[in-house]
Amino acid sequence: MSALAHYLEEEGIPTVAISLIRPQTENTKPPRALWVPFELGRPFGPPSDPEFQKRVIMAALRLLERETGPVIIEDFPDDDPRAQPDPAWRPPSTRVAMAAGAADSPALCLEAEILELRGAHQRWVAQHRRTTVGLSGLPIGECARYVADWLRGKAPPSPREGFSAPLILRFAVDDVKAYCLEAAAAGTAKPSSRQLGDWFWNQAAAGAAMHALRAALQASDDERLKLIVSNFMVPATRVPAT
Amino acid sequence: MTRLTDLPPAQAKRLAELECPEFEARPWVTGPALSQRRVAIVSSAGLVVRGEDPFRGRDADYRVIPAETRPDELLISHISINFDRTGFQEDWSVVFPLDRLRELAGEGAIGSVAQTHYSFMGATDPVQMEPHARELAGRLKRDAVDAVILPPV
Repeated sequence: MSALAHYLEEEGIPTVAISLIRPQTENTKPPRALWVPFELGRPFGPPSDPEFQKRVIMAALRLLERETGPVIIEDFPDDDPRAQPDPAWRPPSTRVAMAAGAADSPALCLEAEILELRGAHQRWVAQHRRTTVGLSGLPIGECARYVADWLRGKAPPSPREGFSAPLILRFAVDDVKAYCLEAAAAGTAKPSSRQLGDWFWNQAAAGAAMHALRAALQASDDERLKLIVSNFMVPATRVPAT
Repeated sequence: MTRLTDLPPAQAKRLAELECPEFEARPWVTGPALSQRRVAIVSSAGLVVRGEDPFRGRDADYRVIPAETRPDELLISHISINFDRTGFQEDWSVVFPLDRLRELAGEGAIGSVAQTHYSFMGATDPVQMEPHARELAGRLKRDAVDAVILPPV
């Protein structure tokens, strides 16, 4: 976010930006930036690789010691080794996931899959001592139920004060995604984001439920709801071609 | 992998051509050697400490992340779904490298780590963020920060 670099530096604070999209940085011209050749969402590169991450940070911070500038845009030379698929990884084999294609109730399959993934998710939490589930503030079973109720055409009210129903739907969907993807990555294999995404969007009942929800609610009269399901539920690269 | 040639053509075009603000000024502030600098992270990943107010839509303000925050307390509430979150799920340092900064301070590569870190939500119009960013500069100065690293997602 190179605009922030301008504002902070103008106020007297030295900054260095990490750049993921080089053309944007070239246009915004921050005082100093390090472009990194990593996937969006991974500004410091591979997870669980402290030495690599430290090299990225130091390459960025060293730009603060340069005596000539602005504008400095340097390139980090190395690719993220974790961008490669791990052939040893296997997707979770849930009965519901295998049946999902044939089933006519994506809502039921979603709830069943969340139950089935519980053991794998517990293994994930034991392994990493954390979960990123929690935006909605609802327990995961209630997240799945809330999303499923929308799929059943119920338009359930928001269960959380201060949050609109469309916003809670968005956060519940985020929590379901996080839960499934964490469960799928439990274990010693190191799947790439693409492997996990291929499983979630092409095979998992939760992914099928989100495709169904998007298709169903795009016709809603509620503009906010329509916007959220259209643009903030299924990634652009996973939306089926029409 | 975010070489634009690796992305689907429509997404690559949209990202490359995204309207960015143009800045006429070219600010440039120098400081002491890295080994004497105090470093803060100002992320634009829409980070929020669990239990606090997530970013809603394109909120233009920022969230505070105290240095005591633990890895299980940090969540991403960025509006966009078009970036990987599985890296952050496995290891928060992919997005928020507080542990790495502490190690670098311990090794003497940097002077110290700020008491507080911050996050904006990067899909917000920068013009809306500007007053919040300028106010944030005052907080950073009061914490004696003289190096800010700005990671996006």
